[in-house]
Amino acid sequence: MVENSATAAVKTKEMIKTPSGFNIIWRELMRDKLALISLICLIGIAAFVYGVSLVLDQEEIVRVDLFAIYQSPGEDFILGTDYGGRDVFGQLIIGTKNSLSIAIIVTLMTGFIGVVFGLVAGYFGGHIDNMLMRILDFFNILPFTMIVIAFVAIVPTYSVLTFSIIMAAFLWMGIARLIRSKALQEKELDYIQAARTLGTSNFKIIFKHLLPNCSSLIIVTMTLNLAANIGLESGLSFLGFGFPEDTPSLGTLLSYARNPQTLEYRWWIWVPASVLILILMLCINNVGQALKRATDARQRRG
Amino acid sequence: MGFLKVEDLKVHFPIKGGFFGRTLGYVKAVDGVSFNLEKGKTYGLVGESGSGKSTTGRAIIGLNHITDGKIEFEDKEITKIHRAKAEIRKDIQMIFQDPYSSLNPKKRVLDIVAEPLRNFERLSRKEERFKVQELLELVGLSPESILKYPHEFSGGQRQRIGIARAVALKPKLIIADEPVSALDVSVQAQVLNFMKEIQRELDLTYLFISHDLGVIRHMCDHIGIMYKGRFVEEGTANEIFNEPQHIYTKRLIAAIPDIDPNKREELKRFRAEVSTEYEQAYNDYFDEEGLAYGLKPISETHLVALPEKG
Repeated sequence: MVENSATAAVKTKEMIKTPSGFNIIWRELMRDKLALISLICLIGIAAFVYGVSLVLDQEEIVRVDLFAIYQSPGEDFILGTDYGGRDVFGQLIIGTKNSLSIAIIVTLMTGFIGVVFGLVAGYFGGHIDNMLMRILDFFNILPFTMIVIAFVAIVPTYSVLTFSIIMAAFLWMGIARLIRSKALQEKELDYIQAARTLGTSNFKIIFKHLLPNCSSLIIVTMTLNLAANIGLESGLSFLGFGFPEDTPSLGTLLSYARNPQTLEYRWWIWVPASVLILILMLCINNVGQALKRATDARQRRG
Repeated sequence: MGFLKVEDLKVHFPIKGGFFGRTLGYVKAVDGVSFNLEKGKTYGLVGESGSGKSTTGRAIIGLNHITDGKIEFEDKEITKIHRAKAEIRKDIQMIFQDPYSSLNPKKRVLDIVAEPLRNFERLSRKEERFKVQELLELVGLSPESILKYPHEFSGGQRQRIGIARAVALKPKLIIADEPVSALDVSVQAQVLNFMKEIQRELDLTYLFISHDLGVIRHMCDHIGIMYKGRFVEEGTANEIFNEPQHIYTKRLIAAIPDIDPNKREELKRFRAEVSTEYEQAYNDYFDEEGLAYGLKPISETHLVALPEKG
C-alpha cells in the first residue's frame, strides 16, 4: 500500500498538466485529415483576405472607371472588371472580408444570446421559462426580412457592425430554443441533482455542468449558423437589401448575375464569388463536424 | 437528542390540467411519514416502486419541495433551508441510484470528486489533488484514475466515485437512494460491504433506500416499510424479519427468494398462504382508499399500522 501510493505520487508529478480542451481538439483534427485541410483552407482564406484588404484601398477599387468596363481577366485585372470598370479581384477580397466579418459577428452574438437565454429558461423552468419563451415568441413572429429592408431604408449609412447587430437581433431564437430543449432534458439527470446536493450554486450549475454538456450542440449549431449566416448575408445583398455597391460583399458580386448577359458571357464577375461561398461553407461544415466529435469524449477518434 | 428526526413529512405534487393549468388534484407521494434515525446506525426504507421512499430521501436533502411536516437534524430544523451554500449541506450527502447519470460525463474524476471541496473548502490545487487521491484510495480506486472520464469506468467503479464524492466533506448522514439496484449482483455485495466498511471508518449514518429486502437485511439496523406514501410497519431488522405484524410486510418477506431447492415446495405453499391471507384481510388492514392506518406501538421499537378496532 505504501509502495503503491509512493509510485502513484511519482506518476502524478509527471502528469500534473491535464490535457486541455485545445489539446483534445488538436488531436481530433490531426486524425481527421479532411477537417484539417478544411481548417487550413479556412485560415488561409481568412488570413489572405484580411491581410490583403489591409493593403487594398477600397475607395480605389470601387471607383467607377468607364474606360475599363467588362474587361476579361488578364494582366491588368486578374479577375477582370464589372460594368463599372471596377476590379473584381479587389472587390472579391474586400467582399469576402465583409461577408466573413458579418457572419462571424452575427454567429457569436446570436450564439451568446441564444445560449444564455436557452440555458436560463431550461434550467429554471416553470414561470421563468414561460416568461422567457413568450419573449422569444414575440421575436419569432416579427418578419425578419421586412425589418431588415426597413432598416436599410431608414438608416442612411450603416457599417458592418450595425448591420450585424440588426441581423443578430432576429436570429438568436433558433439556437435559444435548441439549447432550452437540451437544458430541459439535461437538468433532469442525476448529476445536476447531485451538484445541488453538493452545494453548488445555480450559476455554477448552469455554466459548469449544463453548458459543457450542451457544448457539442452549441458548437455544431454555431458552425452551421456561421455557414448559414454567410449565405443569409449574401442572399440579402443579392436581393439588394444588404450593402450598397460601394461596400462590396460576396452578395453584391453575386447580384451582378441577375443580369442575363453577365450570367452568360461574363463569368469572371460572379463565378469566383460563388465558388468562394461554396468553399467557405464546405470548410466550415467539415471543421464543425470535427469539433463536434472533439467535444464528445465518446465520439473522439484520437 | 435526536440525530435525524422526521415528523409527519408530506410531499404532494400538484396535478395540472384543464384550462390555464389549473390544479386538479394532488399526488400524495409522501403522506405523513415520521421516523427517527440514530447516529451511526443504518435505517432502511423499503417499499414497492411508487411508495414514496425515494421522495422521502430527496425531501430530506432538499431536492423535493416539502408540503408539510418537520425535519430536524441534530436538533436544528432544516425543513425550510434551501440555500445552496448552507452549512447543513456539508453534513447530509446523497448517493444516487444510477451511477451512469449521476456523474457529469464531461468532467474528469478529479473535478467530480473535488466539486464539494471547491464549494465548501478553500484548498490549493495541490492539496485538492492530494485529497481527491486520498478519497479515491479510500473507495478502492487507483489514484492515477483522477484524470479519467466517468465513461472509462465500470458501473461498480462509478458508484465508488459517487461514494467518494459523497464522503468528501466528511458528512454525518448519507442518504443512499437505491445505491446498488443499478449494479449487477456480483458487484452489489462488493459495494455494500464497502459501504459498511466506510461507515465504521468514518462513523457515518445511512438512510438506506431500497426495494431489495435481501440488501436491507444485510445493511440495516432499523427498517421502515412504506406503502402508498405511508409507513405500514417500523421496527428493528429482527422484529421486521422475524415477527412481521402487518400483512403487507408479511407478503414482502414471503417474497424473498431462497436458494435451497429442498424448500421449494414449502415456500410455494407458504407464499400461497400469505397471499390468500393478504387478499382476505386487505380490508381490515387498509382504509377505504387503500391507505395504511396510523402507526401503533406494539413494543418499544416496533410500530405497526393497525386499524382502530385492533
